[in-house]
Amino acid sequence: MGGLTGTGPAADGVDPQVLWARAYLSRVSEPANIPVWGFVGDVGPVEAVEAIRTGIAPREVLDATAARRPTADPDADLDAAERAGLRLVVPESADWPHFAMAALEYAGAERLAAYRAGGDGRHRESGEPIPPLALWARGPLELASLGVRSVGIVGSRAATAYGEQVSSEFAFALASAGVVVVSGGAYGIDAAAHRAALTAGGETVLVSAGGLDRPYPPGNATLFARVAEIGLLLSESPPGCAPQRHRFLTRNRLIAALSTGTVIVEAAKRSGARNTAAHCLALQRPLMAVPGPIVSPMSMGCHGLIRGDGGLGPALLVGSAADVLAVVGGAGEGLSDGADTGTVADVRAELDDLDPIARRVYEGLGARRFARPDEIGARGGVSPLEVIRALPLLELAGLVESSDAGFRIARRTRTRST
Amino acid sequence: MALATTLGVTLTGVQGQTVEIQADVAAGVPGLSFTGLADTSVVESRDRMRAAMGNSGVEWPNRKVTLALLPADVRKVGSRFDLAMAVAVLAAAEEIPPVELADTVWLAELGLDGRLRPIRGVLPAIVTARRTGARRVVVAQGNAAEAALIPDIEVRAAGTLRELVAWLRNEDGPPPLACSTDEPPELDGSADLADVAGQTEAKRALEVAAAGGHHLYLVGPPGAGKTMLAERLPGLLPPLDDDAALEVTAVHSVAGRLLDRARLIRRPPLQAPHHTATVPALVGGGTNLARPGAISLAHQGILFLDEAPEFRPAALEALRQPLESGLVVLHRGGGVVSYPARFLLVLAANPCPCGSRGRDCTCAPQARRRYQQRLSGPLLDRVDVRVQVEPVPHADLLGDALRRESTAEIAERVRQARRAATERWAGTTWRVNADVPGAKLRAGPWALPRRVLAPAQASLEQGRLSARGFDRVLRLAWTVADLNGHTVPEPGDVAEALYFRTGQVESWAA
Repeated sequence: MGGLTGTGPAADGVDPQVLWARAYLSRVSEPANIPVWGFVGDVGPVEAVEAIRTGIAPREVLDATAARRPTADPDADLDAAERAGLRLVVPESADWPHFAMAALEYAGAERLAAYRAGGDGRHRESGEPIPPLALWARGPLELASLGVRSVGIVGSRAATAYGEQVSSEFAFALASAGVVVVSGGAYGIDAAAHRAALTAGGETVLVSAGGLDRPYPPGNATLFARVAEIGLLLSESPPGCAPQRHRFLTRNRLIAALSTGTVIVEAAKRSGARNTAAHCLALQRPLMAVPGPIVSPMSMGCHGLIRGDGGLGPALLVGSAADVLAVVGGAGEGLSDGADTGTVADVRAELDDLDPIARRVYEGLGARRFARPDEIGARGGVSPLEVIRALPLLELAGLVESSDAGFRIARRTRTRST
Repeated sequence: MALATTLGVTLTGVQGQTVEIQADVAAGVPGLSFTGLADTSVVESRDRMRAAMGNSGVEWPNRKVTLALLPADVRKVGSRFDLAMAVAVLAAAEEIPPVELADTVWLAELGLDGRLRPIRGVLPAIVTARRTGARRVVVAQGNAAEAALIPDIEVRAAGTLRELVAWLRNEDGPPPLACSTDEPPELDGSADLADVAGQTEAKRALEVAAAGGHHLYLVGPPGAGKTMLAERLPGLLPPLDDDAALEVTAVHSVAGRLLDRARLIRRPPLQAPHHTATVPALVGGGTNLARPGAISLAHQGILFLDEAPEFRPAALEALRQPLESGLVVLHRGGGVVSYPARFLLVLAANPCPCGSRGRDCTCAPQARRRYQQRLSGPLLDRVDVRVQVEPVPHADLLGDALRRESTAEIAERVRQARRAATERWAGTTWRVNADVPGAKLRAGPWALPRRVLAPAQASLEQGRLSARGFDRVLRLAWTVADLNGHTVPEPGDVAEALYFRTGQVESWAA
């Protein structure tokens, strides 16, 4: 076995032999290859690698790894990873996202059984629903925590302004509410989602189709770097790997798996986002889609998903970040007409802090007539400046409404008890 | 002696350049020719010089006279070189000895009677003379007060050419040193905020605008007191320091506004052009080299546009570049001029074209909307503070029940807030909070914790605030915190900042 020395990129108690074997597997095998995954599951990674290298593995495993076997050099890959600040996370690691991968394990087991029974032996180009053999990672976010309160936001690279806006708004609001945003690294919807989440100070996971030392597209290199600072870059491919078409398709299953639910923001009729949607449904995770203008080709895919065309869907129609939060957030979040998202709850808490003054301001308000701060203050016995500082919070909490003539008690609260 | 040299100063905007004037008197057909890009107004001085000399007891040389204005590739305009050229000719014709000429700059127009007349822009001209090492400047008596504002250079004010000739021939002493008029500094006790009853929100908006350098938008019906408030804003700004005062006074000098009662402008100026103002009146213009417009006269002060939606769109759009750069660059046939134009913009508007409000308003909703939209997005983008100004409803009730703060008290808070901001932004190019780009406040060392930002984030999520509006709230929150003596904004400061941003979402959210 190769000379893995020292601590290496993953030092969280993983047997160096196992780490080395997984690094080897991630190099010689294409992602999501059924025979290889099945064989590793049967005999364990170290023995599987030994069998592959000595040519005694089953024929379909040897076929699947034939192309790269001569050049595979896990030591070089692990060195390159260390230089690029990457770590290798394997199922044996404490940081492995078992929770998020459970659905893939389950779907993968079913798929493997069907494959071995000879029912559907052909390897699917669109990506088999099986867990990765290993993940290359960079960034401070803990991988193990994923899948609990996370949302996939994906869509077309050729997004319209509408798509990018929706993507940004959703990602910003969800990240602000503490939801981890998961997406690819492409232009358009993906990039907009990451940027907005980062702007909100939230955490994001960027799943790349190629090696993490080669940001693709190169124009998003800065975005990759920013995500690596706060969130997490993930890839199944070892360093130096070029992103090829089929790797995008297998990559999509990871986005679906790492997300509590996935939102398709914009997708043309034939779009990679439909592939992500298929993975999402195969994993029995909630699939959401954003409607758009019926004349926009970039929304056709979303409308198809909402209708359930071609057996895909039907996706849940979402029209606001609160709609999404109701699906991926905790129980009860985002449900009361969009007014009770995380930050609004914060505002209510803030109002409690200000309570004595805010209450007097509230008491100085009229039920019908709009009044300006001077008058409100005089009636409530508060200084006008305190009125000015309290009114925006009262308004946000839905207790006060305003017009250009001033402020009064909001109609909604006058008819229901608060 | 057939050749003599004197010095003058030409101005491009408020930038001066020393001009060397050479006079050559030689044998040949009597006449006078100019070289060195002298335009018609300079060439016209031929008759003024000849008559002025005749009426001052000296002879115009009856020979071939050539005047060169150097550097020859700079265009020279106006009558400002009359005296410098006349003295050069007299010296070249050996009417006077050449001794006093080398380090003296001559800045005056000549009348036919030989009197020295004031010129525009004496102040920046003398600043240039001082910078380029001249020891002495001679100006007309009409410019004496203005010229005396510049220290560290000998400024003499003469009444007539005859007086100067006598001095240069050593027949008489030099003309007197120019001294500033002993006018007391401008006092404007008439406009104090203590006079304004109620209007707490509008007064606080002025305070916030003054403290953070935020542009301000006042919306309210006629008679609500928008103009009254705007006129009191200069009193809240700190007085101009020496450099700023000189800069501002120079612009006013070039505009020809200082002739009578010259003094250094210490108080931030207020310019309130009428809404029929043309683009040149607003940003500067005129033939050849443009003169400063209202925005440059408002430099370091306030530009108040009352009835802002009534201004012609081209005039409003012309404000965008100066708002961005603090400078207006004017391209004219005579060359490119730039004037400083860093002003605090105060826009005032009626809520609708009919000017009444509430139930009396007869405007269709469409018309109201259109009226507000006349102010373009890019212009409003630069405006951080927006406040509704309503007529005081119960003036008698509120009137004297509360003690009203005076301008001096509020100005002191503004001063402290500005100092806090200056300390915070030390080492950057930002001077006031309004200068700081939103991105710098969203991330990095100035990012605020989520708990503090909650009111603004909730507004964003509820669609009450746009993304750009969010940045403005951040800037305002820092200013409010500075005014309240908080080193970092608190949730209440963010809430107050929101007050000055939200409100009429339909006309505002961009």
